[in-house]
Amino acid sequence: MKVDIISEWTGEIGEVTIGATKKEGGSRCAAIVIGGGSGFPFLGGSAPGRKPLIAFEFCDDPKLWSPIVTEFEGDVVNDAGAWAARAEERHRPDLLRFYLTSTRRRGFQEFSQVGRSVEEVLERSTLPLIVEGSIDPAIDSETFLRCGEAGEGERLLLGTAEEGRYRSVAAAAMAYGHSVIAQSPIDVNLAKQLNILLRETGVPHDRIVIDPYTGALGYGFEYSYSAMERIRYAALKGDEDLAMPMVSSAIDSLNIKEVREADPGQRGEMAVKWELYTAVSSAIAGASVVCVRHPDTIVPLRSAIDSLWGKTGGGD
Amino acid sequence: MALKALDIYKLLPKKNCKECGEPTCLTFAMKLAAGKADIEKCPYLDEEASRILGASTKPPIQRVKIGVGERSFAVGDEFVQFRHEKTFNHQPGILVAVSDLWPDDRIQDVVREVRDGVLVRIGTDLRLDGIAIRCESGSAEEFSRAVAAVEAKADLPEVLMAADPEVMEAGLSVCGAFRPLIYAATDENYQGMCALAGKFGCPLTIRAESLESLAKLSALAAKEGAPALLIDPSATTLSDYIKKATAIRQNAVSKTVPDLGYPIFFDTTVTGMQDAALALGVDKYASVLVCDRLSIPSRNALLTLRQNIYTDPQKPIQMNPGIYRVGEPVRDSPVFLSVNFSLTYFTLQGYLEASGVPCYMLVVDTEGYSVLTAVAGGKLNETLVAESIKKTGLESEVDHRTLIIPGYAAPLSGKIEDESGWKVLVGPRDAAGVAEFLEKEWKK
Repeated sequence: MKVDIISEWTGEIGEVTIGATKKEGGSRCAAIVIGGGSGFPFLGGSAPGRKPLIAFEFCDDPKLWSPIVTEFEGDVVNDAGAWAARAEERHRPDLLRFYLTSTRRRGFQEFSQVGRSVEEVLERSTLPLIVEGSIDPAIDSETFLRCGEAGEGERLLLGTAEEGRYRSVAAAAMAYGHSVIAQSPIDVNLAKQLNILLRETGVPHDRIVIDPYTGALGYGFEYSYSAMERIRYAALKGDEDLAMPMVSSAIDSLNIKEVREADPGQRGEMAVKWELYTAVSSAIAGASVVCVRHPDTIVPLRSAIDSLWGKTGGGD
Repeated sequence: MALKALDIYKLLPKKNCKECGEPTCLTFAMKLAAGKADIEKCPYLDEEASRILGASTKPPIQRVKIGVGERSFAVGDEFVQFRHEKTFNHQPGILVAVSDLWPDDRIQDVVREVRDGVLVRIGTDLRLDGIAIRCESGSAEEFSRAVAAVEAKADLPEVLMAADPEVMEAGLSVCGAFRPLIYAATDENYQGMCALAGKFGCPLTIRAESLESLAKLSALAAKEGAPALLIDPSATTLSDYIKKATAIRQNAVSKTVPDLGYPIFFDTTVTGMQDAALALGVDKYASVLVCDRLSIPSRNALLTLRQNIYTDPQKPIQMNPGIYRVGEPVRDSPVFLSVNFSLTYFTLQGYLEASGVPCYMLVVDTEGYSVLTAVAGGKLNETLVAESIKKTGLESEVDHRTLIIPGYAAPLSGKIEDESGWKVLVGPRDAAGVAEFLEKEWKK
């Protein structure tokens, strides 16, 4: 008797490329492919897909960022380009995810600064880049246009499209050769619906990354965890409209009561553990890119993903 | 194959003796069919019925109870591979390791921490479960001393970890009456360990490298009379664990390999990355997790993850709809609209408390959905809001008529104004922004 993992899947997860090298007309150190594979994460098999990657999140207006991180990082947070350079060199993530938090202030109109910020980040770093634009439909169009333009040729991943406000992101991505993050509120059917809408506007399958929305640990994470497993399950069973790689970022982790009000001597460690337990679980549930904000989360998270992956792509 | 309640009923004695704890044989049959009762509770089954029912109503993963008294816990009794298919039933017990090389006071520091440490979340006390006592001295005397040191401080569930049956017996002679988990029976020592499990009536862990040998060994142990089993696939890396644990779970719930139908034991201390291993164990099928002493941050994240994963996904955690007060609000205090998904409620409540501004929360019934999901699914709408304002008597509580709605409900603002006659202010999307919002928008 031989006991094996039972695998009855036929579907395959699609692939998305982020970043373009000099040869490809960009300036990134690599063009990273995420997704692929035809099984559940880390179970090996003949098509294990790709190892999940770690993205470090930072922003251009640190007043709208967790003080746990800004105090840890120091003055560098006031200069997005310098922060990007430092994160790449010292924190060593696989990707950078740049939030244009400045656009979230009331009455924001300085669109030329948006383009300049993205350019600066691209100049000072070489990792493939995810850019998060505005979250207000009134300024989406202008913001995403500037982001897309500034990153032309760099094959950015642009976020975030939602039901009801996806056209601006999609248009910028199509005009300048980027991919799109499609976020839906922790619901398989809504994720599928948004992917169909994006496809109808002309965004191809291999330029969509699903973000099923990740609630913080203790604040709805279980719904996100199961949404990711269900999306993966549906994709493997052959639903092509859900067969895109997923990104997971529990963006509220550092703002929740348990972390914010932790004993000052333990607050940093609390932030790291909260992110680590969430990100490890998200990778297990099927996320291809897991995002963190505390630099100290990256090293233990990388060891965890390496150990989960094993020697030969989960197939050893 | 699963039997229907009526098929089971036909095989029962139909005496309605109530000795199983159920009022009638029919209700007992219905519980059996749902996997919620134990066939052995019926004292009058004939042999044939017992054989048929025993095999078909047994959960695919055996239920095992560890420890006695208030802190004892049960594991196993699982039916699905993914929590979204139904739910996971019994959360893993987490036991902190001590060594018999340590002096009593060092052991007892850990015991006190596990005994007294508690994290309160959404009205529930979350705790670690027990102590794993590891024999590293090789001496029966030292091992029983360490067990006695644990026993002196608390009635916590225990795992006794020793390879030599003689040493194990020394430990069991101290605490064997309290149903500790014996760890572990292997190819070499299983006869001795099974005899101890039988003698003391304790659950036993089987350990082997391959799943084939695990299945073989568990069948042997059951034959030797071990009353309840756990299985340890002896994984040393996370990759090894997730593959073996997944294969065990799949083959158990599908009843393909019934000899793997036992709860999984995972010693995370051997992986060299305890936090990640614990997260993995909680997510993927571990029933007993052994770890070294945890920092408060690790413990809190772990207990919270366990609470999340073992929440029944079929039942959103709900609050009762109505008016809730934060601080001591008065007639001109702000009113926040929220939904009855308890996590939304507690998140908003936490931030409102932190803002120091007394206020009201109008919690409406979205069937336990969060704002984002309720808006998308139409569960949160203007009619519900207007009706809730009337039903709760909010208009007699405050003099003003301004409602602050969650940022994600912004698309409903006009409709709510029309339907309720209240003025609507759109609040932040993220509850973290409420203090700043109150400062800037409410006071002016």
